[in-house]
Amino acid sequence: MAKEGLGLEITELRLGLPGDNYSEISIWGSKNKKRVLSDMMTSSSLNTENENGVVSSAEDESLPVVKSQAVGWPPVCSYRRKKNNEEASKAIGYVKVSMDGVPYLRKIDLGSSNSYNNLATVLENLFGCIGLGVAKEGKKCEYINIIIYEDKDRDWMLVGDVPWQMFKESCKRLRIVKRSDATGFGLQRD
Amino acid sequence: MNYFPDEVIEHVFDFVVSHRDRNSISLVCKSWHKIERLSRKEVFIGNCYAINPERLIGRFPCLKSLTLKGKPHFADFNLVPHEWGGFVLPWIEALARSRVGLEELRLKRMVVTDESLELLSRSFANFKSLVLVSCEGFTTDGLASIAANCRQLRELDLQENEIDDHRGQWLNCFPDSCTTLISLNFACLKGETNVAALERLVARSPNLKSLKLNRAVPLDALARLMSCAPQLVDLGVGSYENEPDPESFAKLMTAIEKCMSLRSLSGFLEVAPLCLPAFYPICQNLISLNLSYAAEIQGNHLIKLIQLCKRLQRLWILDSIGDKGLAVVAATCKELQELRVFPSDVHGEEDNNAAVTEVGLVAISAGCPKLHSILYFCKQMTNAALIAVAKNCPNFIRFRLCILEPHKPDHITSQSLDEGFGAIVQACKGLRRLSVSGLLTDQVFLYIGMYAEQLEMLSIAFAGDTDKGMLYVLNGCKKMRKLEIRDSPFGNAALLADVGRYETMRSLWMSSCEVTLGGCKRLAQNSPRLNVEIINENENNRMEQNEEDEREKVDKLYLYRTVVGTRKDAPPYVRIL
Repeated sequence: MAKEGLGLEITELRLGLPGDNYSEISIWGSKNKKRVLSDMMTSSSLNTENENGVVSSAEDESLPVVKSQAVGWPPVCSYRRKKNNEEASKAIGYVKVSMDGVPYLRKIDLGSSNSYNNLATVLENLFGCIGLGVAKEGKKCEYINIIIYEDKDRDWMLVGDVPWQMFKESCKRLRIVKRSDATGFGLQRD
Repeated sequence: MNYFPDEVIEHVFDFVVSHRDRNSISLVCKSWHKIERLSRKEVFIGNCYAINPERLIGRFPCLKSLTLKGKPHFADFNLVPHEWGGFVLPWIEALARSRVGLEELRLKRMVVTDESLELLSRSFANFKSLVLVSCEGFTTDGLASIAANCRQLRELDLQENEIDDHRGQWLNCFPDSCTTLISLNFACLKGETNVAALERLVARSPNLKSLKLNRAVPLDALARLMSCAPQLVDLGVGSYENEPDPESFAKLMTAIEKCMSLRSLSGFLEVAPLCLPAFYPICQNLISLNLSYAAEIQGNHLIKLIQLCKRLQRLWILDSIGDKGLAVVAATCKELQELRVFPSDVHGEEDNNAAVTEVGLVAISAGCPKLHSILYFCKQMTNAALIAVAKNCPNFIRFRLCILEPHKPDHITSQSLDEGFGAIVQACKGLRRLSVSGLLTDQVFLYIGMYAEQLEMLSIAFAGDTDKGMLYVLNGCKKMRKLEIRDSPFGNAALLADVGRYETMRSLWMSSCEVTLGGCKRLAQNSPRLNVEIINENENNRMEQNEEDEREKVDKLYLYRTVVGTRKDAPPYVRIL
């Protein structure tokens, strides 16, 4: 989805998320909206550093309202909020894994894996496939399937680039794609 | 009435229980005032800074039960800094000094220390009931004092408090002679629990009706506890992560089946859904179900459970129930009176298509004729839906709608939600509490001022256009007691229009609005019976008095009526004008 296509819509007096009214034809689905918003935020004068930043006022017609960034919003009491966070952080251990062509997803406990190789083996066992591997930098990728993951920013990344621990902490879900389908991976902007 | 001796009048007054009625009685004449105050057993103080302990005790020397509330409501959402105030110690010290026969203490949003709990436990021989809601500042050591020293303890109810858990043995501190417990709730404790001590305690408490466990109590212990206490009416389940083995599960089922008195179920912090069927036999008796912390229970499991709860009057749930789940509630729970739907994803990270929308709300309103209280978090709303809800449910007393994204309009027409909320206030003539959200102009406040005659509490966030909005509310809602506003463009003109009005209310909160320091100063000038507090945590903004700019916008304003003047315990960043 070209950014230029959203140029006019930015100035339209709308107070919903950008991308709300556009049909999204993309295999990357919901990630699209997030990406566009973050692009717009960096290019605008909104203060994005402070997580509890100010919500832009309704008078500012050219900028979209930042979603749920105000302190104490939504009004969920702090006890409940903490419980929510505890649940969320406990759930980090297990992540969903999807494989192209397989109708159901699986879940694995990232916490119990200790290396990329180990992860590849676990996934191979899970889906009963071979030829699964973590692409190593510099080496020519010889595997049939490659593993990608969705990070905290909702970007799809190639597994193997960052140190294992860093990967474990930022990985939200995994996906196994056929190498032939993933041409130019990493360079696509949507 | 004046021909009767005082004892007779006092006996008549005993039948008058509500605080408001008793307050009214005390205004009739001097003799009634005197009889009433000397016979008053229960006192409710909605703002601990509106009065002081000495005057309380002076007026009601025979009081047995005291309820105190401290911080303003928005403190729940981290808008009030720690150490703002609300300390209970001075109250306990004063009550102890005056030898008041205190039996019950109920605190909400107050700072409670281990020292105060220790003093409480030693000062009142007949102390029976301690209820702490959203309090902080104490540890399990304080609980140990209560357990050890309160020989007549019947109720220890800890709801949503921040308690430092020293993993001590506080449960062991209940003496063997303690057999009077009726209610024990420690669900909010984070640490481990001495399960053996707990089992012994439950076994020797034949009157125990309410038991709410924390997450550290495992499945097999739960089964044993329920076997010892089949008379339980109210149960809060802890958590168990693993799927139970068949034997534990069978024991649990047997224990649960015997609990025919069980009417209220809560907890389920982390539950393997396969454990839920153990509770099916008692679902038909339940009138209250709180699954709002049970993030693990989803979809089918939830629906199966709810389908059995035909007598449910109160349901607290997460939005993962979805519109489909709410349709099941609407079809099953015809006795439903109160519904709360909380967001499972507070940070708005997930693109949660399964969460509830206006469709679920309309379904509930159509299916549950007795519904009178609702708290509903959702991503989207429409005027048409609100109008339908108003038509279906004109009996709302409490209506709190929170659309997660600020300023969000009707998602179909893109208009503001003024008309929708307008319909609610017009139809619900008994509405006492309202929270609004979404895109709203001054118009909605015109409607509120015009129609919401019984409204006592109003919460406003990211709404309105001009001072007129706030003025409509202040001029129209004669029964308003608590008004809390954040991030809305109301300024000095609205604030200062009718200063006398604030003495008829408990409090006003305004944060991130347009009121200035100058406006607040003018407000405070001629109002000796109002405390006008400016809360300003930003170091840079604290200027010398002669340098300050009266045009400076005030970050947080909290004003409340009081008969005891400025409080002495405010931290440096709170300025009382």
